[in-house]
Amino acid sequence: MKPSLRTLTLTWLLLLVLTLAGAGLGDGASPGLGLTLIVATITALKGGMVIEEFLEVGGATPGIRYPVRIFGLLVPLCMVLVYLYGSQIAQFTRLAGE
Amino acid sequence: MEALIPATRLDDGAVTASTPAARDTGIPGNRAIWVGIFAEMTEFALMFLVYFIARAHHPGAFHQGPAKLWTLAGILNTLIMLTSSFLVAGAVHAVRADRQRPALIWLGLALVTGLGYPLMKVLEFRWNLAQGLTGQGDVFQLAYYYLTFNHLVHVSWGLLGMVWVLARLATGAYTADNHRGLIAFASYWHATDLIWLMIFPLFYVLP
Repeated sequence: MKPSLRTLTLTWLLLLVLTLAGAGLGDGASPGLGLTLIVATITALKGGMVIEEFLEVGGATPGIRYPVRIFGLLVPLCMVLVYLYGSQIAQFTRLAGE
Repeated sequence: MEALIPATRLDDGAVTASTPAARDTGIPGNRAIWVGIFAEMTEFALMFLVYFIARAHHPGAFHQGPAKLWTLAGILNTLIMLTSSFLVAGAVHAVRADRQRPALIWLGLALVTGLGYPLMKVLEFRWNLAQGLTGQGDVFQLAYYYLTFNHLVHVSWGLLGMVWVLARLATGAYTADNHRGLIAFASYWHATDLIWLMIFPLFYVLP
């Protein structure tokens, strides 16, 4: 199913709104779980919209569809994981002798 | 034989499954472009991994990082990438409906908008240097330059690709029945847009 021009336009407008709404979130803010979750959610939503409506992976072969969808979730997921388990990840990735 | 099958259009201009163009192979564009897109995604996935490991090791540098950057430049570049991506999608939509002239306008506007990206990057890098924000700084600055400069390279050859498909479109190479080259380019451009949507919050938003 190819997106109509109306769907493409609405997607673009929503992407602009989400960008402007999310841009000021970190301004002078301290790191926190709530903020991290909001930024991760906005990032995942925007990525999802580009993947589904612009890249049109819904009609693509699974070999394209799933890796691209996973790629769109990679950064938002890592944002939350590094916030929650940052010190453990640092410990785990420490080089010998450090 | 396929060229003899008449295209049947729906009200919104979409082409029905009876046309060769709509006969779905499941690969938007062609295989070659997806090799390139997956190579691009793998490259950036590895760079994101390095970013997150660095962030885990140096939370202070990354907490203070976004305040050092010119946020407006990041926002404008995001709006530019999204708008250019939308305009390319509009061009694809027009070609699917066999409307060549509107497609040329869509794609021409996408190119003009897209050219704003390297222009903003030049202005941003100049602003950075005036603030003393160089690649010799802390780990946040290093990651910022590495990822954003790499992305700029990908946008730059995307823009060259856009000039090519614009020339092909202007010479009548793409029709509703045959526009795989345009879809291939559009897929690359949207993937490059997607990657910027991941980079933007990491450097300009997330404290």
